[in-house]
Amino acid sequence: MALRGEQGPGRDWIKYGFVGPALLVLIAFNVFPLLYSIFLSFTNADLVGGAYQVIGVLNYEVVFSAVKYAAALRTTALFVVLAVAIELVLGFGLALALRRRFAGRAIVLTVLLVPMMLPQAVMGLYWKLVLNGNYGILNQVLGALHLVQPQWITDPDLKFFSILLIDVWMWTPFMMLISLAGLNVIPPSIYEAAAIDRASPWRVFRRITLPMCAPLLGLAALLRATDALKQFDLVAAVTGPNDGTTQTLSALLYQVVFRDGRVGLGASYSYVILVLVIALASLFIRYLGSLQKKHGEAV
Amino acid sequence: MGRLSEVKLLRWLFILSYFAASTLPLAWLVLTSIKSKADSISVRPKLAPALSGEVAPGSIYFEPNLDGYRQLSQAYAGTNRAFLHYLGNSIVVGLFSTLAAVLIGTCCAYGFSRFRVGGARDWLFFILSTRFLPPLAVVVPVLVMYRQFDLENTHLGLVVLYTSFNLSLAVWLMKGFIDEIPPAYEEAALVDGYSRFQVFRRIVLPRAAGGMAVTAVFCLISAWNEYGFAMTLNNQDAITVPVYFAGLQGNVRGLPWPQISAGILIFVAPIIAFTVLVRKHLLRGVTFGTIKR
Repeated sequence: MALRGEQGPGRDWIKYGFVGPALLVLIAFNVFPLLYSIFLSFTNADLVGGAYQVIGVLNYEVVFSAVKYAAALRTTALFVVLAVAIELVLGFGLALALRRRFAGRAIVLTVLLVPMMLPQAVMGLYWKLVLNGNYGILNQVLGALHLVQPQWITDPDLKFFSILLIDVWMWTPFMMLISLAGLNVIPPSIYEAAAIDRASPWRVFRRITLPMCAPLLGLAALLRATDALKQFDLVAAVTGPNDGTTQTLSALLYQVVFRDGRVGLGASYSYVILVLVIALASLFIRYLGSLQKKHGEAV
Repeated sequence: MGRLSEVKLLRWLFILSYFAASTLPLAWLVLTSIKSKADSISVRPKLAPALSGEVAPGSIYFEPNLDGYRQLSQAYAGTNRAFLHYLGNSIVVGLFSTLAAVLIGTCCAYGFSRFRVGGARDWLFFILSTRFLPPLAVVVPVLVMYRQFDLENTHLGLVVLYTSFNLSLAVWLMKGFIDEIPPAYEEAALVDGYSRFQVFRRIVLPRAAGGMAVTAVFCLISAWNEYGFAMTLNNQDAITVPVYFAGLQGNVRGLPWPQISAGILIFVAPIIAFTVLVRKHLLRGVTFGTIKR
């Protein structure tokens, strides 16, 4: 809607005055660091900041031959897949259950949404109290019911799933929120038509509810996956970033740079991670773009 | 009858059990904050505060006290400062970075909303993509950069970093809000001889104020909760609350759970209040404004 007087060469400074500062900040803190770390990844720079040399692709050779890297990749992949799947199923289920209005529904929804707004690092620490093998309330309850009382935090086979449990506690509401939005878009007239046709509830779910929610569920899953791929806070809080059984890619990166002090090697690790993040993020962005084209401003 | 009420029963059972699983940990947090340190790690569960009288050892009752809250103003063994000091850091860093992100982000969103900017779509997606970068992948070069400019361990360093990290959210949310403001008033004002900047300040900003407040809440919560950058860029002067709590792990005197719980409650109280305030906009907030209802 720029007026005629504001258009043309010479007057461009107005619009660049508006959009410029934000773009400059983002370039300075995202593009520049990423370019700089390409350079660092070919050096043996350390955390102390002493003199360093260019050592070619040596760092990348280390990354790809490291057992730790393969393990962290596996842990992260498993975490992303399980977290997204469980949260999606639970969240969508909750949305279906909470779909119909009832007294107090608004309050119940708001209360259920609280965990996703809380700080992960802090809640991860608190969950160590709940899950403690000896004095944690969860095991005390299990004990009262004469059930097994596992060592949630220290058992190498369980640690990973304890972190997953906390993640599910925090992020299921996110899936519920987006699922509810998806359910809201379905016009009631479609259900009325299905009722006239005497379609079974399962058929209505398979043929109407699920396909009409699918675009938003896909969006939610991709958004959550890019987020889960970065998982660091919970791992750091619950087991510490250096624990081999729960080490995600971000945690491994932390160990390489901040414990071992190997900045150059860390930079090459970060590039290997970035390739994954960028792949997933561009998938999300494309998906979002196609949704916006299809549904216009509604989505 | 039969089948239908069974479904209904199952539905309510599911809702109730999830509701319990979701809220009981938070209720336990409240209880822990009013226990003594010994009661907080008692092997016999201490489930409820004793309202009066003596508490027999081994009972499920505990004597409530507010020591956890009082100790927040004292430094715990092995730490330099008290919780309140770190809360101050969190407030300073959160407020200033939010202010900057919302202001810069609103200008940028306005530019993209009202002008034809070359490659606007690509720029917007570039802005969104910055949100997906893992902090730990960006932090190494930022750290080197900060050493150059003496920004390591400073409030300013974190403020600038959080501003950039929240800009993507601010731009996308504000673009959604500004797109909803009809441009008719602005056109009229421009015809009346207002400059573009006057139009922005006098006509757009007042109408975008609600959206800016919502955006500010989401930026503030992100900055408030951030851990990765705060931990790696700071080991002395600008330590925020999440980093302080994390640093208590491995303390020689054990973890002061009542104090930690009290601190967490104080730390998350504003988040919960804000969540209730902006509940109608939560969907927008967590999806970068891409879903509006």
